[in-house]
Amino acid sequence: MEKMTSQYRWGMVVDLDRCTGCGACVVACQAENNVAICGKKEISEGRNMHWLRIERFWVGKYPDVRARFLPVLCQHCQDAPCEPVCPVYASYHNPDGLNGQVYNRCVGTRYCGNNCPYAVRVFNFYNHEWPKPLDNQLSPDMTVRTRGVMEKCTFCVQRIRRAKEDAKSENRAIRDGEIQPACAQTCPTDALVFGNMADPRSRVAILSRSPRRFRLLEHLGTHPSIYYLKGGGREHV
Amino acid sequence: MKRRTFLQLGTIIAASAVLDGCRSKNEQLIPYLIPPDEGVTPGKGTYYASSCNACPAGCGILVRVSEGRAKKIEGNPDHPINRGKLCARGQAIVQELYHPDRVPHPLKRNGPRGSGAFTRISWQEGIGLLADKLKALQREQNTNGLALLTPHLRGTLAELTSRFMRTFGSTNHVSYELLTPDLLRAAARRSFGHPSLPYYDIAETRYLLSFGADFVENHLSPVKYGSAFGQMRQGRDTVRGHFTYVGGRMSLTAASADRWMPAKPGSEGALALGMARLILAESLYDSGALAANGLEAKKLLAALDRYDLPRVTQLSGLPQGAIAEVAREFASTRPALALAGEMVAFQSNGPESVRAVHLLNLLVGSLNRPGGIYPDAGFPSGPENSFAELLALIETMHGGNVKVAMIHGDPLYSVPPATGFHDALAKVPFIVSFSSLLDDTALHADLVLPDHAALESWGDVIPVAGTREPVVGLMQPVVEPLFDTRQFPEVLLATAHELGGRMAAALPDESYLELLKGAIRKQAGLEAGVDFEATWVDLLQHGGSFKGKSSKLTGYRWGSDAPPPLPEDPDFAGDPKTYPFHLIVYPSTAFYDGRGAPYPWLQQLPDPMTTVVWGSWVEINPETAAELGIGFGDLVEVTSPQGTLRLPAVVYPGIRPDMVAVPLGQGHGGMGRYAQGQGVNPLALVARQGTKQQPAWNATRVRITRISGKGELVTAGHPQGSLRSELVEI
Repeated sequence: MEKMTSQYRWGMVVDLDRCTGCGACVVACQAENNVAICGKKEISEGRNMHWLRIERFWVGKYPDVRARFLPVLCQHCQDAPCEPVCPVYASYHNPDGLNGQVYNRCVGTRYCGNNCPYAVRVFNFYNHEWPKPLDNQLSPDMTVRTRGVMEKCTFCVQRIRRAKEDAKSENRAIRDGEIQPACAQTCPTDALVFGNMADPRSRVAILSRSPRRFRLLEHLGTHPSIYYLKGGGREHV
Repeated sequence: MKRRTFLQLGTIIAASAVLDGCRSKNEQLIPYLIPPDEGVTPGKGTYYASSCNACPAGCGILVRVSEGRAKKIEGNPDHPINRGKLCARGQAIVQELYHPDRVPHPLKRNGPRGSGAFTRISWQEGIGLLADKLKALQREQNTNGLALLTPHLRGTLAELTSRFMRTFGSTNHVSYELLTPDLLRAAARRSFGHPSLPYYDIAETRYLLSFGADFVENHLSPVKYGSAFGQMRQGRDTVRGHFTYVGGRMSLTAASADRWMPAKPGSEGALALGMARLILAESLYDSGALAANGLEAKKLLAALDRYDLPRVTQLSGLPQGAIAEVAREFASTRPALALAGEMVAFQSNGPESVRAVHLLNLLVGSLNRPGGIYPDAGFPSGPENSFAELLALIETMHGGNVKVAMIHGDPLYSVPPATGFHDALAKVPFIVSFSSLLDDTALHADLVLPDHAALESWGDVIPVAGTREPVVGLMQPVVEPLFDTRQFPEVLLATAHELGGRMAAALPDESYLELLKGAIRKQAGLEAGVDFEATWVDLLQHGGSFKGKSSKLTGYRWGSDAPPPLPEDPDFAGDPKTYPFHLIVYPSTAFYDGRGAPYPWLQQLPDPMTTVVWGSWVEINPETAAELGIGFGDLVEVTSPQGTLRLPAVVYPGIRPDMVAVPLGQGHGGMGRYAQGQGVNPLALVARQGTKQQPAWNATRVRITRISGKGELVTAGHPQGSLRSELVEI
């Protein structure tokens, strides 16, 4: 259901040959998006609230063992399994190709989370606290989600909005590289690249044509907006 | 106009007339439901440039401030160290500022030490108390009874503290950090005649060979070298740099390597020399480089005679073929670069092993060349054995000769108990702590004079390494101080003022800001008449001064009197029969040496290799674990000649079967609600090596026993990854 009603189609490339798994993106995302602090108990129940996680795979056996990292965030699928199941249209597709979530519409059926093959939607099973004065760090750009609401990666939509406003006031299109979600901005190795896939000359579009590209669980036909580039190493060259 | 275009245009015009501007089907279907900005109101923030002090790397940061509150920390794109990038620890220091358990005002102890019973006092009273104690020392002519213990300081603060101590008349000023690169400096001094740390040109190299240097998570300047690593891999069109890692535990850095060589702990130096010998024997060396450094291949080969391949194979426990292959690849790929890191340096034979790696760089002509190593200009001459100074201070404290100890940092946590520091400190009658959280040291202090958070402070931050030009980053307060706290240097100035006499004369500055501005002004070397205020504002806006003159260092050259590196056989505390495993303590990715532990974001950040959150663990090879009947998450007891700890086990495929590893950073007795009681401090296990004045944190042996199945280990992911790896094609 690709409808080019916008000149932008936001996408990302994750270069696994650059990614070292350091976790800077995870904290950047948490800081930018008011993602809740989860204690030990909550995480032991599998209810961590991180929008972006780094999967670690062990391949092989000692001494020929390798660890591989895979940053997994919302893939912003063009045929997103989470969207048609939402009874209240909280999960929807925006004209820029973003897979949006309207928090004040969400009634907490968790259908979307259950239908997501990437397990990147997180549900507020609890009310979360920022004991004073920790609440000062909360960003005023983002709603703080309460119990019973599903939340997920937005590609830092607040940054996209800001850039759009800036561009509009200057009567121009958004430049390549002008928007960076918090994760891509902080990534020390530049493994995450964000940009407009609809512009064939953007950095992200060029990288997404790399022969190393693949998409996560491609066989499911979800058409994600995130391309991964295979890691190198002997077994992959 | 073509017929098709005409029809399209017509349709669009008609549609817009009917639908009144609706653009997509979504909006027709659910008009009104989508609020204009998806519930998002992008606010305007103000960005302030400052510097990060969460580790010695000294990255530049931009802090987004809105409504007078710090919201988000980002990398400063102008800063030559991190170029707009930042690690997890750096981003979390906003939680230092807003930590709910910060010490909000000065405290005086009113219960037994360690009980945490304090009464609130005023700053006047606090500084008065300290000054009274110091005055008493002056009266008794016992000025050496004052000791100051700080982390490694650079720049204005270093100068202020040393002036304070010098004028007071005390020689007991010790700067100590657990993960200090002292040994790397000492090795450089011995090989090259000056103690500059190496600067690695990772971005331009084609073959990277790391001996226990974990540059992705903590070695010298992780953001800088992480970024360079990305460049090395995919930043060049036709070249993908190769990376081999040597070390018994697969660290986060090693996980990115193409080849992992799990050498026996302490054998890394011998391995490097084995490779060097092979390169010499097969004439793969750079003869020009050898001549330029005044070395002769024949003589060197003779000196390294003992390191023949079979012996090195036996010492390192690696396959002979692999060693030879790596040596040949390293010598035949130019430029190639070898690194030596903390995991090697903290062995009993560490310094010589580091020098063996220097020799490898020399042999392939990688000294002072693009893609090789240069002397670092960040902080060219630093301490070379602060551990010996610490031991001397401990001795003095044991003798009861220290009456007042002023402590910045948390040495009760970060000094291994095997040094006797804990008992020695207990003998000091008056302890002053400057911690902003009640950490282990502050809990034992008699007086707590809480420091500002980094985001409330002034200062200059000089990166320890990672640059070839001198860099001075500036710290500025981005918000109003939250509590009734005072910056550590301000307290020193106020105390000097209170003491009067010589002290007040030597430290006349009204405020630290004034002192700092004076120092920066001197550095800028402005001509008379130039308005410094404008320069100062400009420097603050950019986060510091990055246009330093190119380094005066001439480059590394093998010292004419430098002996060939000959690491002795590694020595371990504990007898192999009782204690069959080598213990490795390594800085955790999230907490470094424990400084990151109070911040909930970092506690919640899954450890990249194990995905463990909120706790410590011990890593055990799957085979070893099976032999001992230990399963993933079981509670085990780790015993060394020094101590015993109980913690959960992680079955870890990337570690030698004769080794176990415990991350540093957890196990605080205090430090606020998020750190307190999480995990254990592995330094309790570390034993000392006889009387050696050298930090050999990784030279202890341990034994392991399973206690129960209840380790209370929490991992964020499935131990094998949540998605099936063959499905995600990884």
